[in-house]
Amino acid sequence: MKTLARHAITACLVALASSASAQDVRITTFKTESTFTLNGQTFTIQREQDQSATLQGDFARTARACPPDCIQPIRVAEGVMTIGELEVMRYLESTVSDGTGLLLDTRGPQDFATGAIPGAVNVPAATLHEENRFRDDILRALGATSRGDGTLDYSTAMNLAVYSGGVWSGDAAQAIKNLLAAGYPPEKLFYYRGGMQAWVHVGLTVQTSANSG
Amino acid sequence: MIRTVVALFVFAVFICGLIVFRPFGGGDETVAQDRLGTPVEETAAANDEVEVTRAAPQDIASLAEAALQETAPLATDPQTGLIEAPRRVDVARPSTDDTRLSDMTNNVLAELGFAGVKPVTTNAQTQRQSTSEILAGIEAATGNTSVLQERDTLEAIVIAALRAGTSDEEIDQIVNTAAAEGTVAVPEILVTSDGRVDTHVLLTNIVTQAQLAAGGPAPSIPEATPENTQGMEVRVVQQATEAVQARFYTVQPGDSLGKISITFFGSVEHYEAIFEANRGLLSSPDRIRVGQRLVIPQIDNV
Repeated sequence: MKTLARHAITACLVALASSASAQDVRITTFKTESTFTLNGQTFTIQREQDQSATLQGDFARTARACPPDCIQPIRVAEGVMTIGELEVMRYLESTVSDGTGLLLDTRGPQDFATGAIPGAVNVPAATLHEENRFRDDILRALGATSRGDGTLDYSTAMNLAVYSGGVWSGDAAQAIKNLLAAGYPPEKLFYYRGGMQAWVHVGLTVQTSANSG
Repeated sequence: MIRTVVALFVFAVFICGLIVFRPFGGGDETVAQDRLGTPVEETAAANDEVEVTRAAPQDIASLAEAALQETAPLATDPQTGLIEAPRRVDVARPSTDDTRLSDMTNNVLAELGFAGVKPVTTNAQTQRQSTSEILAGIEAATGNTSVLQERDTLEAIVIAALRAGTSDEEIDQIVNTAAAEGTVAVPEILVTSDGRVDTHVLLTNIVTQAQLAAGGPAPSIPEATPENTQGMEVRVVQQATEAVQARFYTVQPGDSLGKISITFFGSVEHYEAIFEANRGLLSSPDRIRVGQRLVIPQIDNV
């Protein structure tokens, strides 16, 4: 009888503790989650509530061969704004939700499949290089329109927030350089320098699936 | 005492001055490098090897001409009065993709119904596939359908021409027109030093691979000598105990890396050996220029 009572008390305490901790790890003081819709589908981003959680797997690594994986500057190109996690969420809630922008994951398809920021679209950096004969097809899908003379008009092109593996990855920077070289206006580009590693480092929701949607 | 010290000091300063300013014989040391921008020859000769030049009947006139074509005339900057460094005038080149010529030829033969030839996936097809996946991803996010434009491929052009019995000259014209318009991409080793597509190599290689597929022998290695090959040069490098022949080839107008490979090794397959041996000169296999002096490697058991 006594043990049963003790179990009941423990269960109550655990329930209380877990309901309390659901409020403990917020995004900011007044924000517990970020919700947005992309082409009719709703996504929610929250933080990991287990305060003993640590980085696991590939993102726990601190050393990668440079080159190719070298530390990137804060300003990656003239006129391209660098953003952090809160700006990425605000961008998803406003620009992506209105259909005027996309979040691009510029890692390779295998890395993307292991987990990405919710709502991100996989466009590997190399596919935006001028050597890819299909680059213009991708740029048109991003909203650029063909002028008669073979060049592209970017006035209706989408805003793009671009990220890759982390501070140590040049993929996002390369994608931005490739886009600028193709004539993409810098004011439509945003660079999330922290990338996937910074995202998981603060325990934000990761979506695992092949391309979103 | 003080006088001696001062005298010694003055003498030392004088000597230092001589060393720094070199009033005598300074003119001899002006740049002996490559002012014309012609590729500086780097022989494989190691430090203590004795080099003997023999049997190199070079066509001096053509080399000089090549050197002239290679470099723009020296121009003087009107503001600074300095002579501007000569710039290489790069010819327009057809767009290339990293599809291998052998894969492409293989697919041409498969399409033409050669027994025993199975189509393979070329790099261009892989790229197309991954692009359509990317477009599907963007489509899922935006809800707008996007289309992957159909493009001509070199394969399709060649297959159609061979089926229609088009002559070699006409094939050359069709392929080069398409390449100049940028509608097709060609394998890198088909690009010539004057920016055209080497359809001769393309067609020769189809014949070679067709023979191989039919169980024929591999093409024999031709005997290239300076007498029968313009631009070729042979040097004998004397090493400790034996004399080694080093072969060089100066790129002629209209050469492609595929052609050079056929000249020296009988087929296009060994272009990579030539490319690797000349990495310092060639940034990629399609970047060959008239007048470049390439080392032709020795390949064992070809």
